[in-house]
Amino acid sequence: MPENNAAIGLLWEPKLPVFSSASGSAKYGNPSSNNVETSALYKPSSELIDGLFVAPNDPKKINKLLKKEIKDTAGKSWFDMPAPVITPELKKDLQLLKLRSAIDPTRHYKKGNSKSKTLPKYFQVGTVIESAEEFYTGRLTKKERKATLAEELLSDRNLGAYRKRKVREIEEVNRPGGVAKWKRTGRKRRNHAMAGKKGRH
Amino acid sequence: MVARTPTRGRGGGGGFRGGRGDGGGRGGRGGFGGRGGDSAMKRGGGRSGGRGGRGGRGGMKGGSKVVVEPHRHEGVFIAKGKEDALCTKNMVPGEAVYNEKRISVQNEDGTKVEYRVWNPFRSKLAAAILGGVDDIWIKPGARVLYLGAASGTTVSHVSDLVGPNGVVYAVEFSHRSGRDLVNMAKKRTNVIPIIEDARHPAKYRMLVGMVDVIFSDVAQPDQARILALNASYFLKAGGHFVISIKANCIDSTVPAEAVFAQEVKKLQADQFKPSEQVTLEPFERDHACVVGAYRVPKKQKAAA
Repeated sequence: MPENNAAIGLLWEPKLPVFSSASGSAKYGNPSSNNVETSALYKPSSELIDGLFVAPNDPKKINKLLKKEIKDTAGKSWFDMPAPVITPELKKDLQLLKLRSAIDPTRHYKKGNSKSKTLPKYFQVGTVIESAEEFYTGRLTKKERKATLAEELLSDRNLGAYRKRKVREIEEVNRPGGVAKWKRTGRKRRNHAMAGKKGRH
Repeated sequence: MVARTPTRGRGGGGGFRGGRGDGGGRGGRGGFGGRGGDSAMKRGGGRSGGRGGRGGRGGMKGGSKVVVEPHRHEGVFIAKGKEDALCTKNMVPGEAVYNEKRISVQNEDGTKVEYRVWNPFRSKLAAAILGGVDDIWIKPGARVLYLGAASGTTVSHVSDLVGPNGVVYAVEFSHRSGRDLVNMAKKRTNVIPIIEDARHPAKYRMLVGMVDVIFSDVAQPDQARILALNASYFLKAGGHFVISIKANCIDSTVPAEAVFAQEVKKLQADQFKPSEQVTLEPFERDHACVVGAYRVPKKQKAAA
C-alpha cells in the first residue's frame, strides 16, 4: 500500500490493468463510494486519473455530467425524436425541401414556413416502404433509388428540362447589358488598354 | 400539409393517393354507414366495395427518401418529400395494418424506427387534423374510448398516437369488421377491442376504465345521445370528446350546416362544451368534426 501511494502522479509509472487488485481502489486520491455507478460516464483520457474515471464528489457536478449524457430530443410528446447531426448533405436536403415549390411547376404546396431560413432541428430521414400490392405501381426500381433527396430530385428527367430552361431564363435576365460580340475579353482587353496608354504619351 | 389540393372522385388525388378508391363519386361502399360497419348498427355489412384501390400514378413511391418531422399535434409526424404525408410512429415495426405505406428510419445509433402513413381519405381523425383542428386531445399516454372502430384502421393510428403508455378501448358492434379489429388488437397491446353495441355502455362497463378522450364516429341518427351515454359512464370530468358528424346520416332533408348546428345544440344540452367545429371537406362530403370538453369545472375565483 504505502509504496503504491508514492507512485501516484509520476509519468513513468507503468500503466496497470484495472483489475490488477481488488484493494487497488484504496490508492486513488479520493475513492468515492459511487465509483461503480458513474463509471460509465465518458471522459477524455487526459482527465482520467491513472486511466480511471473518478466521479466528482459534488452532487451538482454529477448532475451536470448526467445532463450532458442525455441526448437532445423532441421530447416525450413525439416519442423522443432525436436531433441528428447536420451534415452538408442533410442541410442541402432540408434546404431543397424548403424550395421544393420551385422544382416542379405542376405541383403546389401549402405555404408552410418556406420563407424563414431556419431548418428543423428534430427530424429523421427515412425511406418509404411500399405495400406488397404496390410492387408494380408504387415502387422505385433499384436504379431509381438514390441515397439522398437531392439526388433523387436531380435524377428526374422531366424536371431536368424545366430546371434548365428556368436557369437559362434567369441568367438571361440577370445578364449585364451590351452586345456580347463587341465586348473585349481576355488578351484583347489588355492590348486595348495598353494602346490607350501609349497614345496618351 | 397536403401537397396539392385533392379533388374528389379521382381516388383522392394529390399527396394522399388512392384514398377510398371509389372510381367516381361515392359509390362502392355498403349502405348508409359510410365506413365498414359502424358501431351500433344491426347489420353485418361494410366493406362491400373493397376499400383501398391505391396505386394510382405517382405518389410517394417505395424507396424514395423523405424527411420526417414532428407535427404540431403531439404524437403526429409529417413526412416531407416530393409530397407530404401525415404519419404516426409504428408501435409494431415491420407491419402494416391496412396495406398502408411505411417509412423506415435508421437512427445514428443504429436503432430502427418505423412510421406509418396516415391517409386522411380513410380516417376522419386524420382529415380533421389536416382540416386544421386546434387540438385533438389524443396524445401520448392518453386513455381513449373509440366508438365506431370499424376495422380498426384509424384505431391503429390512435394506438400509435397514445403509445405504449396509453390505452384505446375500441367499441364496434359489427362482428365482421370486429374480426379485423380483433386481429389488429392482437399485435397492439394498448388496444382493447370490444364487440358491443355502443348504445349500451353498461354491457362493457367492466372492461373500460376512466378515459381522457372519447372519439365517436358512429354515424347514427342518435349519435349525440350515444356519446352522452358513454361519456356519463367513462369520461372524466374535464375530459374531451371528438365527434365526427355525417349530415346525411342524421337528417338528409335539411342542409348540412343546419344538421351540424342542431347536433351541437344537442351536445350542449348534455353537459358537453363544444369548442370548435371543422369541416372535413376535401376528404369527406358533408362531414364535420366537433371537438370540445365535458363537464368543465367552473373557473375558480382567485382566493381572496
